[in-house]
Amino acid sequence: MTSTLDKLHAILRRDLLTAVRHRSGFVVTLVGVFTELAAFYFLSRAIGPGFRPGGVEYFPFLMVGTGVYTFFVMSAQAFLSAVQEAQQTGTLEVLMTTSTAPAELVILSSISAFAGNLLNLLVYLFAGVAVFRAAIHANFFSCVAVLIFSLAIALALGIAAATLQVAFQKGSALLWLLGSGLWFLSGTMFPIQSLPRPLELLARAVPLTYAIDGMRSALLEGQSIRAMAPTLAVLAGFSVVLLPLALAALSLSLRRARQDGTLSFY
Amino acid sequence: MDRVVFESVRKVFRHRPALFNWLGRERGGETIALKNASFAAACAQVLVLLGPNGSGKTTALKLISTMLLPDAGSVSVGGFDARRDAGAVRRQVGIAVAAERSFFPRLSARENLEFFAALDEVSRKERAQRIKEVLRDTGLEEQADTLVMKFSSGMYQRLGIARALVKRPGVLLLDEPTRSLDAGTTAHFWTTIRALARQETCVLLATHSFAEAAAVADRLLLLQRGEVLADRALGNGENADALRAFYFRMTGEVDEKIL
Repeated sequence: MTSTLDKLHAILRRDLLTAVRHRSGFVVTLVGVFTELAAFYFLSRAIGPGFRPGGVEYFPFLMVGTGVYTFFVMSAQAFLSAVQEAQQTGTLEVLMTTSTAPAELVILSSISAFAGNLLNLLVYLFAGVAVFRAAIHANFFSCVAVLIFSLAIALALGIAAATLQVAFQKGSALLWLLGSGLWFLSGTMFPIQSLPRPLELLARAVPLTYAIDGMRSALLEGQSIRAMAPTLAVLAGFSVVLLPLALAALSLSLRRARQDGTLSFY
Repeated sequence: MDRVVFESVRKVFRHRPALFNWLGRERGGETIALKNASFAAACAQVLVLLGPNGSGKTTALKLISTMLLPDAGSVSVGGFDARRDAGAVRRQVGIAVAAERSFFPRLSARENLEFFAALDEVSRKERAQRIKEVLRDTGLEEQADTLVMKFSSGMYQRLGIARALVKRPGVLLLDEPTRSLDAGTTAHFWTTIRALARQETCVLLATHSFAEAAAVADRLLLLQRGEVLADRALGNGENADALRAFYFRMTGEVDEKIL
């Protein structure tokens, strides 16, 4: 356990040092956050106060939807980029020869990638509330519960993208799917009830839909954990199924890459 | 006592043609990297792997490090099978690969070593001291706090060696370790290798340099097209010229230096 925490500390430190030494990175992220929030703020003003999806104001509805969606996509993107860069420099091969088991290494690395984006999400939500006066009515414990399960699902997506990258050098395919299909289907900008029935049913099979819906209920409506039990149960179910599945697939693809000599192919 | 054992190891790289292969000239096929290769390397010994390009030297080192898995035969390190007990094998092995850029560019040399030492489970108590030692042994003390993105090829190579040494491995694998080093650093490195062998480390070193082989080897493994051509102890006073003559005689290649 001490050894695992020590490794997590080493990985977090590496990623933090790398991030702060990209001097313009923080500024670009902050500018991006404020620009995006400003665009959604004025969009919701243009649409007017009459449009209240799910009974909440449109700006907070958009803020939570896009914030959670961006967290998913950017986390998977950050982790995938780390894997691609490691392949290009040959670092991946060397990492696979350390005393740390590949699965442990992948989980710790993805936790670090996701921690950075979790921070971005919190900054995004804080700026939305503090600067653009988004009306929230948060239940802290419900928010934490949704966040924990969302993190597990996002980890699974990131690991799945890494699996595709190692196996076929095409991890970006999953990101493309996230960036197009899931954006449309997960209720990021409008309630999924607005979709035609077949698409609405498809949207209900997407884990991101429940993560966004759950965060809206917890953050904007202050629903208790008891009231949110059905949504949390679905999120827990997705986590329990997707995370081990993604890890098993990655383990298999790494073994195949070691057999074929393609670990550093990109 | 044999620390690394190769038994009838075969490794083939299969090239899968691209999906729309007709658009290009790429063809499928396979490259046989190792053909039923058998050899062993003992504790307190430097085994030098010599051979032309494509003879299987790097593949052999990668198989020992578990970067690659054998198609047939077995590779074992300290009695552990590289396929079944990869974790136990990795704990014993340190490798300096030929890829020079296998570091995190926005970390300093010391920060890179701290990172890899943590993954190699070097205890926190010992870490700082060991890093100090390997930075000194590789002549990187003055550049310890420089970001590695500013390093030259030679400095990258020294850092690769430092990374392999920091866990104090029982088996040290070195792939062309002095390719980009200056003469002074190379001589110091050879002394370090001999000292490590005296401390019971099993060293396997792949090189194209006869001078390097003559300076550090206890035994020589000559490979060609994945096959072991010769596996023998190095005679007393056998110098680089004698090794060169032996190499060209065995491989059948033409030594243009003589012509």
